[in-house]
Amino acid sequence: MRYYLRKLGFFVLTLWAVVTINFLIPRVQPGDPAEIMVQRLAGKNAQLDQAQVQAMRDLLGTPTGSLGSQYVQYLGQLLRGDLGLSYNYYPFEVTRVIGQAFWWTVVLVTVVQVLSFVVGILLGAFAAWKRNGRFDTTVTLVSTFLGTLQPFWIALLLIYGLGYSLGWFATSGGYEQSTPGFNGAFLYDAVSHAFLPALTLMIVTPIGWILGMRNTMIMNLSEDYIKLAKAKGLPDRVVALRYAARNALLPSVTGFALALGGVLGGTILVETVFDYPGLGRLMGEAVGLKDYPLLQALMLLTAVATLVANLVADLLYGVLDPRVRRSQA
Amino acid sequence: MVERRALVAAAVAVLLLLPGCAGSRVANERKLARSGAVATGGDVAQLNLAAESDASIGGLVNYNPFAPKQLTKTWLYEPLMIQNSLDCTVTPWLATGYRWQGAKRLTFDIRPGVTWSDGSPFTAADVAFTFNLAKKYPAMDTAGVWNDIFGAKALSVTATGEQVVFEFSGDAASKFTSIIGQLIVSEKQYGSVGDPTQYVDEKPVATGPFSVDRYNGRRLELVRRPDYWQADKIKVQRLVLEGNYDANQAALKLRTGGLDFYTGELPNPQKTFVDPDPATNHFWYPANGITVLAPNLTAKPFDDVRFREALAHGLDKESASLKATYGIMDVASQSGLTLPAKQALLPPGYPAASTVVPFDAGKANQLLDAAGYAKGPDGFRRNPDGSPIAITMSVQAGFIDYEATADEVVANLRDLGLDIKANKAAPDSVDGQKKSGDFQLMINYMAAGCDYANGMGATLSTGTIPTKTEIKGNIGRYSSPPVDEAVAQLTGTTDPDRTKELVGVLVTTMMTQYPVLPLFYAPARGIYRTDKAVGWPSAKDPYANPQDNPRLWITHLSAPK
Repeated sequence: MRYYLRKLGFFVLTLWAVVTINFLIPRVQPGDPAEIMVQRLAGKNAQLDQAQVQAMRDLLGTPTGSLGSQYVQYLGQLLRGDLGLSYNYYPFEVTRVIGQAFWWTVVLVTVVQVLSFVVGILLGAFAAWKRNGRFDTTVTLVSTFLGTLQPFWIALLLIYGLGYSLGWFATSGGYEQSTPGFNGAFLYDAVSHAFLPALTLMIVTPIGWILGMRNTMIMNLSEDYIKLAKAKGLPDRVVALRYAARNALLPSVTGFALALGGVLGGTILVETVFDYPGLGRLMGEAVGLKDYPLLQALMLLTAVATLVANLVADLLYGVLDPRVRRSQA
Repeated sequence: MVERRALVAAAVAVLLLLPGCAGSRVANERKLARSGAVATGGDVAQLNLAAESDASIGGLVNYNPFAPKQLTKTWLYEPLMIQNSLDCTVTPWLATGYRWQGAKRLTFDIRPGVTWSDGSPFTAADVAFTFNLAKKYPAMDTAGVWNDIFGAKALSVTATGEQVVFEFSGDAASKFTSIIGQLIVSEKQYGSVGDPTQYVDEKPVATGPFSVDRYNGRRLELVRRPDYWQADKIKVQRLVLEGNYDANQAALKLRTGGLDFYTGELPNPQKTFVDPDPATNHFWYPANGITVLAPNLTAKPFDDVRFREALAHGLDKESASLKATYGIMDVASQSGLTLPAKQALLPPGYPAASTVVPFDAGKANQLLDAAGYAKGPDGFRRNPDGSPIAITMSVQAGFIDYEATADEVVANLRDLGLDIKANKAAPDSVDGQKKSGDFQLMINYMAAGCDYANGMGATLSTGTIPTKTEIKGNIGRYSSPPVDEAVAQLTGTTDPDRTKELVGVLVTTMMTQYPVLPLFYAPARGIYRTDKAVGWPSAKDPYANPQDNPRLWITHLSAPK
């Protein structure tokens, strides 16, 4: 019981820290969002129109009162679920803006993460089982090589090759001609636009799983119980999957929960390159435009998702592996 | 994010250039298959423009003209009049005429026979309503009618019959440009929505030439309104607004006909756009303002007018324009006026050609020697009192044309024996330097426009020196009582002759005091195709600023013969 309480306490403490940092960030930043927005709307080569800046300041509002009272006010708003109005998408609420981008990222990245996990675990396990063979060498070398490349560079190569040169896939946006909704035309449009971002992520994401799984599995393969299983005359497939792989999987499960939690913030570069209308792109935009309410909400969302995933992983681990609970109790 | 996009664009550009754009063939065919319709009888079936809203998240529908961003700010709601900022001519729009009585009372005659898109009549009451709404909600007062930012604040705006009368508490001639540009909404629609800036306008009722046909979250299609008040002038049947392009995507779209008109930055448009098809592809970049070199006049050696005069001669503006604008933009006149459009405002004694300071390094060196800036043992010039000169030029990192300009300036000043280096910093931090005044030299934009008090005047008057919290035009901190007086009087005069006289004071200051050093003109960009529509503003027919006056050019377009 104490194990669970500790984890829960840690969760609350981290959440409070995140909220506080979130509160402080816009208040210690240089730069005036009103000036930035007016200048951006007017273009680089334009004199800043003071009347427009004044109107924009009135529009966005400036916080009043001491830092302490602002903080209390901010916490109160959060408890009421009021995250404010986006600067960049004024007068829309940040929750509405995030709602528009949410599913694009969640669907794309969840599919990629699940596929990557399955592919990565299988490849890693197989490489470890046949270690130092031709398959293992190839997989390890290719993974290490691809792991050194920046995802956005891979994205650019794909855009050039499969997008511009061959013209097979759309290179930017989430859809084009169709009307969003549950209809065939839109689904086709969306999938053909999501293909290249997904492919980019599919090239880089499984690498961690492959290498991680391979290493743990090799360690497990030298354990006594594997030797015993082999000595008993069990078929290779059973020893590999039911004995070695199953035990090696345990650390990866926690990792997977964390990866799912990180889905929300993890694709800024790739989404930006593909102009994909998801949360990563939105976050990059919010940073560039100093859209503090939107940025705060996105960071809060990311942090909460990661913390919840972490908590679930911790709790799950306690169930899966009783040793963890006992050793810390 | 902006830097990231620039990086991505650069990388894509490199990739695109490799095999000579063979890759665009497929995209080209796809685009051709999609357009299809052929215009006849002067009508233009469809024009493709870039999206006006740069929002990346679609599906948030808002046409409210008082929101910072809306799906279109151009084609639905309309202003009272339209000023061509290049030559300052005014075209009557929702108002047929105006009169100043002194500089405190302004009367507009409102056009009869205009209808809102829901069929109800447009009246002077709607105009008065719109301006009075801005009084109640300062956040929508982007024209600054009710504050004293451009001249004196308004006391009242009232409609009587077919007229709307503005009464000001003092001289307010300088508010004219902003007032005529205010977009007018209907009292019927906006009268009951509460705070107009927070209102989400999904079903716009407007007076403009187009109405919304459909929007799928990223592609906005507008159709011509047959009951528009000057519908006979609108030949374009359908406008499609789609896409926020970086330079390379835009070049590709323009070349393949996916875009018919574009005002964004396009490096070397002659080579990337015109050369592949000179019969169809054109661009016109008239002078919209001036890119100037702005020294900090409170610091040595820039506080010495003789030093600044020497710099004016020592800058190779031709070469700077070549590097920053591919030679498209002309070298700028030291007068601070955009020539030739505003030539008529030059005071006697300053013929247009003589106001451009030619590049002459020999003369610059002579002037520096004569002013006592002798070279020290290290080969660098020193202040007349013997103290060393070390100049740091602040440059906005990522502004590619500014960076190219800075390279040229640094090279020029080094040739004069000055110890100078460029310091590239994030645009935000350069903005911070403008506010604090903690810089030596930077590139700035000098507004031209037709409101000289707030345009040219902003670079020169004491009232527009930036504060700790606000960026204003006079970043060099120039201060001179006669200039302040002239700017104040510009706010109070509506007489063209008097205006010319007062602008003359500013021009003379520019020509003799060198508070900023104009390099080359900054463009109003118009990049266009003539296969679907002709009649775009051009050097031969400069009836509109292509970038700022789309409402004007849409009335001039028709299908090519």
